[in-house]
Amino acid sequence: MVEPATATQAAAPAVAQLKDELDIVIPTIRNLDFLEMWRPFFQPYHLIIVQDGDPSKTIKVPDGFDYELYNRNDINRILGPKASCISFKDSACRCFGYMVSKKKYIFTIDDDCFVAKDPSGKAINALEQHIKNLLSPSTPFFFNTLYDPYREGADFVRGYPFSLREGVPTAVSHGLWLNIPDYDAPTQLVKPLERNTRFVDAVLTIPKGTLFPMCGMNLAFDRELIGPAMYFGLMGDGQPIGRYDDMWAGWCMKVICDHLGLGVKTGLPYIYHSKASNPFVNLRKEYKGIYWQEEIIPFFQQAVLPKECTSVQKCYIELAKQVKEKLSKVDPYFDKLAEAMVTWIEAWDELNPTAAAVPDGKAK
Amino acid sequence: MRTSPSLLSLTIDSALLNLSNIADLSPLPDHIVLDLFLLPARTRYFLSSRHSTFESQLPLSFLPDVLRNSEIVLISETCTSLDYRVAISCFSEALYFGIELLFVFGKMSLAIRDDEIDIIIGAIRSDLTSFMNEWRPMFSRFHLIIVKDPDLKEELKIPEGFNLDVYEKSDIDRVVGSSTSVLFSGYACRYFGYLVSRKKYIISVDDDCLPARDPKGFVVDAVAQHITNLTTPATPFFFNTLYDPFTEGADFVRGYPFSLRSGVKCALSCGLWLNMADHDAPTQALKARQRNSRYVDAVMTVPAGSLVPISGINIAFDREVVGPALVPALKLAGEGKFRWETMEDIWSGLCVKVVCDHLGLGVKTGLPYVWRTDRGDPIASLKKEWEGVKLMEEVVPFFQSVRLPREATTVEDCVVEVAKAAKERLGSTDPVFARAAKAMLDWVNLWKSVGSISSSPAV
Repeated sequence: MVEPATATQAAAPAVAQLKDELDIVIPTIRNLDFLEMWRPFFQPYHLIIVQDGDPSKTIKVPDGFDYELYNRNDINRILGPKASCISFKDSACRCFGYMVSKKKYIFTIDDDCFVAKDPSGKAINALEQHIKNLLSPSTPFFFNTLYDPYREGADFVRGYPFSLREGVPTAVSHGLWLNIPDYDAPTQLVKPLERNTRFVDAVLTIPKGTLFPMCGMNLAFDRELIGPAMYFGLMGDGQPIGRYDDMWAGWCMKVICDHLGLGVKTGLPYIYHSKASNPFVNLRKEYKGIYWQEEIIPFFQQAVLPKECTSVQKCYIELAKQVKEKLSKVDPYFDKLAEAMVTWIEAWDELNPTAAAVPDGKAK
Repeated sequence: MRTSPSLLSLTIDSALLNLSNIADLSPLPDHIVLDLFLLPARTRYFLSSRHSTFESQLPLSFLPDVLRNSEIVLISETCTSLDYRVAISCFSEALYFGIELLFVFGKMSLAIRDDEIDIIIGAIRSDLTSFMNEWRPMFSRFHLIIVKDPDLKEELKIPEGFNLDVYEKSDIDRVVGSSTSVLFSGYACRYFGYLVSRKKYIISVDDDCLPARDPKGFVVDAVAQHITNLTTPATPFFFNTLYDPFTEGADFVRGYPFSLRSGVKCALSCGLWLNMADHDAPTQALKARQRNSRYVDAVMTVPAGSLVPISGINIAFDREVVGPALVPALKLAGEGKFRWETMEDIWSGLCVKVVCDHLGLGVKTGLPYVWRTDRGDPIASLKKEWEGVKLMEEVVPFFQSVRLPREATTVEDCVVEVAKAAKERLGSTDPVFARAAKAMLDWVNLWKSVGSISSSPAV
């Protein structure tokens, strides 16, 4: 049986890396008690809390954390009519946090995720590992069988061309979960007792041209490199679909990263996912997505971005165009989504005026 | 077919009505469970997790018509297995419309007989006594082929108690003729074993590797793990973040398309190495004391379209499916008797991956680990031979750019196409490539004439 680390085991690191360059974005509707567990690792950092659901409720934040909190009223006030692109009654609203942040890096985590233990029993500082992942290069052009070659104790294997050993900048670090795995509703219903107890001690780059299901529970990214692509879509209240927010962002993000020559890593760190959501509720939310993803995946696999798309925003607007062209025949929802994608970019540029000055990526 | 109701049938009828209240069906004997669900015209479906894991590898077309049209969907270890995808889609639709659905999942095990496996060892060193004795618990069940490096002068020392065939230079010359026997020198001698083997699955480890131990201290059965890798599907078209979804305790994650969950056949399994990892000479020379102690408990499919340096130190493959694609082709001018002085396996592996990607087959990497003993001096190797490292700068872009024509539907055809492309694009860069291209064609011819099990056309 896998267990979370207890508060006393979690020891604060000697140096909180990037503490002025990283924001922690947390969506929540209930409370933030889980932060107590993370205190030694998170306290040096600034938090952006995005309160979903009823804005009249007060979310209690444990003492000692430096944070800003946004509820639906704030989102409406700040974005005006553009607030329509931010989901309501769904954790997808977290992407508002990405938009208002002024930092270079974002780490986002769900409020039912706790500190995990590695096989030796030591508490895992997930944030520290994400930072390591983001600060070291990725290797998307050739698969290294010893996984991340920049990790201590590892390296490139025989046969790996030296010209590819410099790697590319890492845009996204995708962490995993012990205990309750991120299964979809049908799998949850069939295997309600399955727990992820396997600690796989690896970080690896997802190769160029390969898509993957990106989970938003334990995720970090370089906002300057890829921020505008991390739109979590239209989910929740008034929408025909839920629990596909992070998936959608992940597919858009990967296509753009592949186009711009940026890297995406997955693997460590692990967090301890404590709460299994209701699979029947999940099924109702996911039901359409399960069918739509059969169309969506080939769309992303075949998506080609023109050479002129040299910035994330340009890539994203182009993707929105293609979504409208090719996916609206699946369901009118995609029309709305494509428009929301454009609104998102407009809102992003409005709130981040210097973003236009971000050096254009090299398009492939 | 039932006629008048029996006590048993009445009990079953009654049980069926209340089945949703029964959490655990496992105490029921199989034939009762079958009886419950093969009865026609049942209108209730029930949810149950009889077993915690399941494997489904048969396509939708396997579902008998009667079951497809009936209102019961059955998946059972004693019955035909359904495509998981179909099961889930039935389930989702049923739930959506307020009908409960029953699944009884069982494990479909692919029982591999021992006589389907050959363990093939290329003997680069003459004294295999400790090597064979260390591997005895894992090897002794199987037939072994030991191929002696034709350049090795000393007699092979092999301990008793194994079912094996040994091939030496004279055998190689006899079977393939002395002009083509040059293909099989050094580490490439093992390919002769691949050629003459008549088994479906081949496992090959270098003669300086021993069984490894996992973090709990248990000895790793590399043979069993390779066979598991080869007999469970690979998933090259979409990356599963929990790695191998067919392993115990894991599954496909949310967002993984259901149509891709049956996977494809796994043609090749690449294992890893503890202690001396397979680094090239410059890397090992630079990090002289680095030893690989990280045991990564995962198997994963290398995604389609992504190339990978496949080390020959610890591999297994399905000979029937992909045999001709492992080619003893790239022989460095100064090729030596240490892995640092070779690149033949890397070229071979790139060829296999390109062919697998084209034919929709899978390649897995990760477990099992072997323990690779310290041997040789990387600096000495580096001084002698670093041609291999330089050549990779040409080799990798070449393989990345190879496009196989649609008409190439067999492995042999694919290999011939790769050879042709190598000759055209690389032949003039370095004579070693022209020789490699020719060697590939010679190999395919040998395969057709000597390797009498021809590979089946691609699916």
